[in-house]
Amino acid sequence: MSKKIFIDFKRCIACKACEVACEMEHGEARIRVFEFPDLTSVAFNCRHCEKAPCMEVCPVNALSKDDDGAVVLDPLKCIGCLMCGLACPFGIPKIDEYNKIMDKCDLCAHRRAEGKLPACVSACPTEALKYGDINDVLWAREGKIVAELKDIGDRTNVLEAYLIR
Amino acid sequence: MGMAEKRISVVCPWCSVGCRFYIVNVNGYPKKIEFDYDHDIRNHGKLCPKGVAAFQHLRHPDRLKKPLKRVGERGEGKFKEISWEEAIKEIAQKLSEIKEKYGSEALAFLGSERCSIEENYVLQKLARALGTNNIEYVCRMCQSTAVAGKGMVLGHPGLTNPFEDILKAKVIVLWGYNPAATNPVFFGQYIEKAILDNNATLIVVDPRKTKTAKYADIHLQPYPGTDLAIALAMLNVIITEELYDKDFVAERAEGLEELAKTVEKYTPEWAEKVSGVPAELIRKAAITFATAGTAALLTNEGVNQHANGTRTVMAITEMMVLCGYFGKEGVMSGAIPGAHNGMGAGLMGIGPHELPGRFPLHAEEHKRRIEEAWGFKIPEKPGITYVEMIDAILEGKLKALYVMGTNPAKALPNLKKAEEAFKNIEFLVVQDIFLTETAKYADIVLPAAAWFEKDGTAISFERRVQRSFKAADAPGEAKPDWEILVMLAKELGFGEYFNYSDADDILREINRIIPPLAGATPERLKKNLKGCMIPCPDENTEVPRLFVQGFLTPNGKAQLIPVEYKEPGEVPDEEYPFWLTNYRFVGHFHTGTMSHRSKSLSKRWPEEYIEINENDAKRLGIKDGDLVRVETRRAALVLRAKVTPHIREGVVAAPWHWDFNYLTTDVLDEYAKMPELKTAACRISKVEG
Ligand code: SF4
Ligand code: SF4
Ligand code: SF4
Repeated sequence: MSKKIFIDFKRCIACKACEVACEMEHGEARIRVFEFPDLTSVAFNCRHCEKAPCMEVCPVNALSKDDDGAVVLDPLKCIGCLMCGLACPFGIPKIDEYNKIMDKCDLCAHRRAEGKLPACVSACPTEALKYGDINDVLWAREGKIVAELKDIGDRTNVLEAYLIR
Repeated sequence: MGMAEKRISVVCPWCSVGCRFYIVNVNGYPKKIEFDYDHDIRNHGKLCPKGVAAFQHLRHPDRLKKPLKRVGERGEGKFKEISWEEAIKEIAQKLSEIKEKYGSEALAFLGSERCSIEENYVLQKLARALGTNNIEYVCRMCQSTAVAGKGMVLGHPGLTNPFEDILKAKVIVLWGYNPAATNPVFFGQYIEKAILDNNATLIVVDPRKTKTAKYADIHLQPYPGTDLAIALAMLNVIITEELYDKDFVAERAEGLEELAKTVEKYTPEWAEKVSGVPAELIRKAAITFATAGTAALLTNEGVNQHANGTRTVMAITEMMVLCGYFGKEGVMSGAIPGAHNGMGAGLMGIGPHELPGRFPLHAEEHKRRIEEAWGFKIPEKPGITYVEMIDAILEGKLKALYVMGTNPAKALPNLKKAEEAFKNIEFLVVQDIFLTETAKYADIVLPAAAWFEKDGTAISFERRVQRSFKAADAPGEAKPDWEILVMLAKELGFGEYFNYSDADDILREINRIIPPLAGATPERLKKNLKGCMIPCPDENTEVPRLFVQGFLTPNGKAQLIPVEYKEPGEVPDEEYPFWLTNYRFVGHFHTGTMSHRSKSLSKRWPEEYIEINENDAKRLGIKDGDLVRVETRRAALVLRAKVTPHIREGVVAAPWHWDFNYLTTDVLDEYAKMPELKTAACRISKVEG
């Protein structure tokens, strides 16, 4: 089952707890928070794409998918050729200047192995970051909308109520 | 893995939400933090960036490891290492000498919101053993107006309800308070959920459009320190439109008639002229607030830190009384202390007019009870307050100051004057974890253990008493603050009064001396990580909601004391045409003693900037990123400009974690002696070249 980190930008307050948590785990933050002039903010990390371009271009197969669907990098294989960084539409893999190999989000593989949540998700004080299967996350969100609609439906004509809102 | 890896539960050392987490320790060395998703605790495992980075400063190379004695000029920061024995001996000698020569009132002590209740308790006891009530802490500069104002109206200043109640509030008012930056976990886990999931209406009062105000349905942007005009106008609307809870007021409050007469003239139209907020918006806010059914009204330093702070707190609190929003579920009222033990320190009797338990100094019965338990007399004469200590030093009345875990040389208003005082004092001792700005003036510096390096109890802003456990060894010869104080007390000949061998001993004495804390025993707090909400008179009791039966005033009724308008201490004029105010960064804390030394934080929030409204900037020819000179009657700073629509015209704002307090005035609130830290009149100009 493929699990990912989902971002609810409505809830993000740009506190950067996610960045700091990632930095504490990995030495370098692999998630970044972007702030916009209108006060919205979005935390942004690797999407762990279904068809990951980084994986496809890696000449030495240093990138692969693990059981949870995370695109992880094998540091022993990586030759630091930067192809993955170029191919990634989001510019996620970054060179680790010291070791001359790439560095990217692995959905905190070591934490998942211990049954823990990714560090950024654990920290996020507003729950703007959610970790899970897309169907579960979507259902949690849609479920709420459905419940609301039902609630309105009990009281009055659904469509009318919805339009008035 | 690792042979000796341990997870130890601690309370967060920064703000006052009371978040818990683990320190993972390997053979006494703190390795990392881990989130606590195992226990039913207030933060539900969540942490803000300060919490996540909370162990970074612990092993910073600047940590003080040995006692130091000054060799250079005051303020220069030149010291030589000495032994503990020498240091304690010299301090005891000097304090005794000064007491002998000038009397006990020449001595003063500063306690700390960053230290445990046990440590603050021991410090005030030591001051009193030495014969002085000159004992204070920074509450004077952040919460004292709230304590005074709510004290007068309700009889108690504490947060009234548990966090969960905010999820049921229909309207939330955040007044001079930006929790998205100052208390992110409280904001995310409670306030934001109430708004986004439970459709609570949010009213924000703040001159800046903050991350909190982003969620507001109604945002009032007054000139700094004119909030009182808005509160009075809201009272006017609530009373003249008869929106108040008549039964509640009749039964549980007194003074409505007087109040109504007083606020008659304070119409929204009048308030618009004073505060710059449209009358219609004030009216709308008042109606929304009064008709909601349940309301949470939280205030903070935007209200408190003004020369009219106590009056504003009173007026705001009276709004809550009028609408009957007390003693129920789904409501909340309170001011939010800055640091993790801001509330606890105050309760310990760290106050020039207060006994442990926050009883007034003249409460004879309590005084006698405490004296009997201690075995010595508490001095009669009330002490002097924090800011007044500076004047007393300059006038030569105060000769020695003992500072525990706090940084007045950066926290005080009008810093140039404060620096003069620290240069001229006869004897200064600072005990802290780093060589702070204040410590640079000290004669003797004592290395203290950091929060994670000792057992100790803190009280969060929810009135929750929580135990934090020793999770790492202190570096070098650093010692817990209470241990240092006990050493000093023994050297001074007070050994019999300070017979403690661990923090538990002290807490047990606190249990006996302070009745509302009788039930917060070491055993209970160790067993129960969630802690208990004070008052907890016995081991099975706690009080989640205040004022369910009555208020804590002498007759149990809320006192609707009429409040007249008073301007803030300094307002713009032709020479200094801008209102200057300050704010905080989520990643920094107070004077930066710890946060400026946390790599992950200082990297993300590296420098200060001054926010200027885009129209003002255009008029003055200032572009985003330009250097501007900000000047008040006391000092000038050069800061980078951030041109933004998110601050109202005529107001500029800079964060206070750096040198902001060189600019501020030291006018005081008449009731609480709070200095006006939140506003000053300033002029700004572009730095050319
Ligand atoms: S999942 Fe882990 S590695 Fe990826 S961004 Fe979050 S904290 Fe960083
Ligand atoms: S921790 Fe959460 S709220 Fe804070 S910046 Fe990251 S995503 Fe946003
Ligand atoms: S919200 Fe406050 S108590 Fe919680 S982690 Fe952040 S600083 Fe610590």
